[in-house]
Amino acid sequence: MSEVTPTKTLDVCGKICPYPDMNTMTTLKKMEKGEVLEVLLDYPLSVERIPRNIKKQGHKLIEVEQLDGPNHRMLIEAHGLK
Amino acid sequence: MEAVLTGLFVGVLFGFVLQRGRFCMNSAFRDAILLQDNVLLKTVFAALLVELVGFAIMDAAGAIAINPKPFWWGANLLGSFVFGIGMVLAGGCASGITYRTGEGMVGSMTAVLGLATAGFFTAAGFLKPFKVNLQAATTVSGADGKALTLHGILGMDYTTLAIIIALIAVVVWYFVAKSKKDEYEADPGWGWLNTGILVGLVGILAFPLSAAAGRNYPLGITAGWIGVVKKILNFSEVSMGWLSWMVIGIIVGGFIAALIAKEFKFRAPKPLVMLQTFVGGLLMGFGAVTSGGCNIGHLLSGIPQLSLGSILAGVSIVLGAWAASYVMFILPQKKDQ
Repeated sequence: MSEVTPTKTLDVCGKICPYPDMNTMTTLKKMEKGEVLEVLLDYPLSVERIPRNIKKQGHKLIEVEQLDGPNHRMLIEAHGLK
Repeated sequence: MEAVLTGLFVGVLFGFVLQRGRFCMNSAFRDAILLQDNVLLKTVFAALLVELVGFAIMDAAGAIAINPKPFWWGANLLGSFVFGIGMVLAGGCASGITYRTGEGMVGSMTAVLGLATAGFFTAAGFLKPFKVNLQAATTVSGADGKALTLHGILGMDYTTLAIIIALIAVVVWYFVAKSKKDEYEADPGWGWLNTGILVGLVGILAFPLSAAAGRNYPLGITAGWIGVVKKILNFSEVSMGWLSWMVIGIIVGGFIAALIAKEFKFRAPKPLVMLQTFVGGLLMGFGAVTSGGCNIGHLLSGIPQLSLGSILAGVSIVLGAWAASYVMFILPQKKDQ
């Protein structure tokens, strides 16, 4: 578990492809630089795809943690292009 | 009995590779325009290239006799375009929704239900006359009466042309890759190249095993599901064929892979989304049977056999997926801004 306190939490569990990615990207776009987004997701493809795509947008992945089963918790620091 | 064993064997392998490799053609085509993410697209190309070489060698060695699908341009264009729209609505291609059923994703199960239902009605039900007429009206055969293929048009030997294409592709790929920095050095999971090679190898293995069981074709999905439906409805006394066991194997393989990775869980989207994936599945089933193949039968299995029908179907699937992605995802984003 990370010590970082998320500014905002986004729960995309149960969402189908590609909504976990799209919702994460649009939320990050609206956040200030340095703010931390916590994403809760249960879609394995997105767990691998989100990190490589947020990087292209300049956001920083802090950590990914597998909770129970396919449930993951992802912490991302926003780049702040608002 | 042989069909049961080898079909299940190939299916379990395929399902395992699909789940661990996160292989999905819907994501591959859609992400290229939606997220500017080409990782899965590269996986698809790698798989096609491996199969092209594998089929070419096996055909020359007499281990298989390639069996390209016919060219019926109207059915290929319409069916595969509808299929492409359907897979975006369903959130996965025919193989994607099948392996995710084994992961416990209920939205994919409803999509499979739609695929099997519409596939059945188009293959053997009230939509059959439409499919048969469209295919017959737009069929173009080669001079020898066989299915139109690239090697047939060029008057070349299949293996020779396949090896030439593979060599050109590798050279082009090498220079394209060299000119670009690798953006994905930290690619988690299996990596796009390993997944592509493994998918291709499963496709190569499938061909002789399926042929030995009396079905001379490599991988497919939709016809396998239709076989399952027929068995459930007890439509025919005939036992389920190789492809149906292969499809069931995919679910088992996906399930095993998800269990090992601790990713199995029954999870359902909202009812309205399940309706959306079901409707997507319906479009996929109708489209695949009309066109004579889904993204596996035409794209993965047909393109390496250089069937012109499969190449056209492949292009049409991509165009359908792009059209649906544009309307569903890109347009709303533009309005938002």
